[in-house]
Amino acid sequence: MEMAKHDREHPAKYPVLDLNEARPDITEPIELSLTRRETFVKGFAIQTTGRLGAWNQVARHFEAVEMPGKTPDKEPVENGGYRGGKDIEMKDNDLKPKGKKSIKDGDDEMTVVVPPSKKQSSVPPPNDADGDVVMDDSDKAEDGAVKVDPVVQAINDIKSNYALLDRAVALFDARFSLRALRSISSIRKRLTPDILAQAISETFTASSPSSHVASGLLQAIGRGDVSLGRQPGPEMEIDSEPKAKNGVKKEAKEVIPEVDVFLGILTQVLLYDTKQFQRGFEFSSQLATRVQSLNRRTLDSLSAKVYFYFSLFAEQMTPLPPSSQSPIVSIRPTLLAALRTAVLRKDIDTQASVIVLLLRNYLLTSHITQADLLVSHTQFPENAANNQVARFLYYLGRVRAVQLRYTEAHEHLTAATRKAPSSASALGFSQTATKLLMVVELLMGDIPDRATFRETSMELSLHPYFLLVQAVRVGNLEDFETIIADHADTFRRDSTYTLILRLRQNVIKTGIRMMSLSYSRISLRDICIRLHLGSEENAEYIVAKAIRDGVIEATLDRERGFMKSKEIGDVYATREPGEAFHDRIRACLALHDESVKAMRFPMNQHRLELKNAQEAREREREMAKEIQEGDLDEDDLGGEFEGM
Amino acid sequence: MAERQLTQILTQLKSAPSYETALPLLSKAKLLLAQLNALTPSPSVPPQIQSLALQTYEQGALASIRASNPQAFTRYVDQLAPFYEQHPSDEKNKITGLYLLLLITQGGYDEFHSELERLTAVSASAFDAVESDRYLGYPIRIERWLMEGSYDRVWKAMKQGEVPCEEFSVFSEILTVQIRNEIARSSERAYPSLPISSTKALLFLPSEGEVMEYAKSRGWILRDGHIYFPPAVAAQETGEDGEKKEMSQVVIENALEYARQLETIV
Repeated sequence: MEMAKHDREHPAKYPVLDLNEARPDITEPIELSLTRRETFVKGFAIQTTGRLGAWNQVARHFEAVEMPGKTPDKEPVENGGYRGGKDIEMKDNDLKPKGKKSIKDGDDEMTVVVPPSKKQSSVPPPNDADGDVVMDDSDKAEDGAVKVDPVVQAINDIKSNYALLDRAVALFDARFSLRALRSISSIRKRLTPDILAQAISETFTASSPSSHVASGLLQAIGRGDVSLGRQPGPEMEIDSEPKAKNGVKKEAKEVIPEVDVFLGILTQVLLYDTKQFQRGFEFSSQLATRVQSLNRRTLDSLSAKVYFYFSLFAEQMTPLPPSSQSPIVSIRPTLLAALRTAVLRKDIDTQASVIVLLLRNYLLTSHITQADLLVSHTQFPENAANNQVARFLYYLGRVRAVQLRYTEAHEHLTAATRKAPSSASALGFSQTATKLLMVVELLMGDIPDRATFRETSMELSLHPYFLLVQAVRVGNLEDFETIIADHADTFRRDSTYTLILRLRQNVIKTGIRMMSLSYSRISLRDICIRLHLGSEENAEYIVAKAIRDGVIEATLDRERGFMKSKEIGDVYATREPGEAFHDRIRACLALHDESVKAMRFPMNQHRLELKNAQEAREREREMAKEIQEGDLDEDDLGGEFEGM
Repeated sequence: MAERQLTQILTQLKSAPSYETALPLLSKAKLLLAQLNALTPSPSVPPQIQSLALQTYEQGALASIRASNPQAFTRYVDQLAPFYEQHPSDEKNKITGLYLLLLITQGGYDEFHSELERLTAVSASAFDAVESDRYLGYPIRIERWLMEGSYDRVWKAMKQGEVPCEEFSVFSEILTVQIRNEIARSSERAYPSLPISSTKALLFLPSEGEVMEYAKSRGWILRDGHIYFPPAVAAQETGEDGEKKEMSQVVIENALEYARQLETIV
């Protein structure tokens, strides 16, 4: 147990320290340095993660504090009772983006896209509040009094988002559209073709210029016979006059494109949830063309979503992805065109989203070279949404891992797992990214931290990888082969199989390292037997290569056929601890910088500060002047000097 | 018309004895393809002409391999790629296998693995199928052995009879030089000295005379029937000295950087 622990703490990076487990007789002095080192490393790790957690909290807190302040115009409308609604919305804010994130994980796709169920109960209040805003403040009380019919409620929820979209256009602030998109997850569960059809028909008038769009929407959900411009249905009549009047007023003006694209997204969601992939695919391609033709910056985040569902539909259609006849191949030109347009329009949301979709698309058919070319010819927008960044990093890490650029892959995947939201709804993504990260770590000759395997959320899904790590760590080729054979299906499903097969050489190298650490001199014959290598010559070549690659410090004697290990110096005499320390400090500093950049500051605050600073400077100048003129000397300063 | 001509040329190509005779035939075939507008598998091209184009490129690829012309071969493989997406072909595995082997000899391991990933992604059982394939399994095994350092196995695999077909043996020479260099580089680090007699077997060289020649070309020192590799080690040590001098400077630079950063934070 003790030995295992040490080994875990010190992966291949610090080979010398493993001496301990190999030569128990000389533990004394090294044990000492070990504990010293252990505390050093561990302490730092704790500090780092501690800092990280703290920063996340700070950032989240900051956002939480920010949000209510951003909608001051809403404040007076609501009475005290609705205040709680904002907090819930904050939670909503936290949850939703995470929910959609794990879509990457093929297995969890269906389940994860749907947001957590506990929100069902908590969401209506805020939406209700928003609904109030749409309908003017006057009928607030009335609305509260009416017993809420789920259908009416759902339609109201949908409509409540129009206000957000309106405001997004009016104030040119993308955050309102993002909020509207977030509410999709809560509407989604209650969405039926009838509800959506009704919402659409109440939104558009038959005479409005965009009515053809509406009828397109209706046809897509199979309710082509519903007429447009319908007044709120009979069941809404209880809601009394003001509301209906309001509706008329609203319809009188032109429906903004944001609203109809929003309804389009709802249609996509509905079709996806009801598994009408063929129809959804056709509808999506129309919607994508339409989005493409509209050049409105306020539409950016919405169009990103449109493309997202578009490609999701394509993936679900037969023949399924790995086949080269899959529809995902055919949507590539559309996506590439969308990317071009998005770049020209500086549409960051769509850019990020489409790059990620294309990468995913290429990787699904294993077109690694194309994916690599895409990455090298595009620039991923720096201030893209966090979720998109995490996805991008994951896919990039995948590409690099296949290309044997493990250091880069490791860097990207670490960043991806860190950026992955910690909520339960994004578990699929975290798991997938962690699995890949582990394989890459193994390929680099490191041993993943055991603590990762113990996390309750990961334990089960990572079990095959746990066994794999054990086999690699011990350097047992036989175990390794049986584990691969036993869990081949799991590894294939995670598409880590080909990467894992490359681990064979690492297992052999670890085995040789164990030999070199345990014996000061060992015959090639013994190495050959213990590692189950084919022949002595084979063993000789392998050991020679290991020496050249710096895996072990040893020399070979060809005449007498043995390997002689070199005495190994103290790691603390090398620059390695310093380098490790430097790396960590650099990571912390980078984290600090990023956190500062991520913070949002209230507008014009700096002017206030500037003013204060100016005043302070003036005061100082006055004081200096007074001192110069000797005014102060007699009063306070002079007196004290005399006292001394 | 052009189609029939193309078929004729193809039959001639298949029996063409050498690259020199195949070359004019190939350019004629490609001209005909251009006339038929079938250089790429666009949907407007009828399938039978597409398959003719595919065969033309395949013959071109094989001919250029026999003539040890890697550039031409790579070009043909690139042209074949879009055809293979749509058409099955008997020669596909052979050509892909040759391409993989070419990538290994050129050190393009990242492309090798990208290509491999694509081959194995088609279905779950594809990997076993690929590995057990006569043509595809060969480069995969070679790559694995090279990575492990099992050079003796690579050597054995290159012997006559082990190679899946004659085109593959074109690479044997390149691979031999490659593994010999690899072994030499390993040996420089691994052995303090080597007796010349056993180096012969180690490097797969036919005679001791060639060992001497090879040793000279790598700058090894020959003394008392032994080979010594001192220069590499010496170079290493001086390198380390240089690093040590730098190290103090690095530490100072780091410390200054920390101080500067701290100042901006506090």
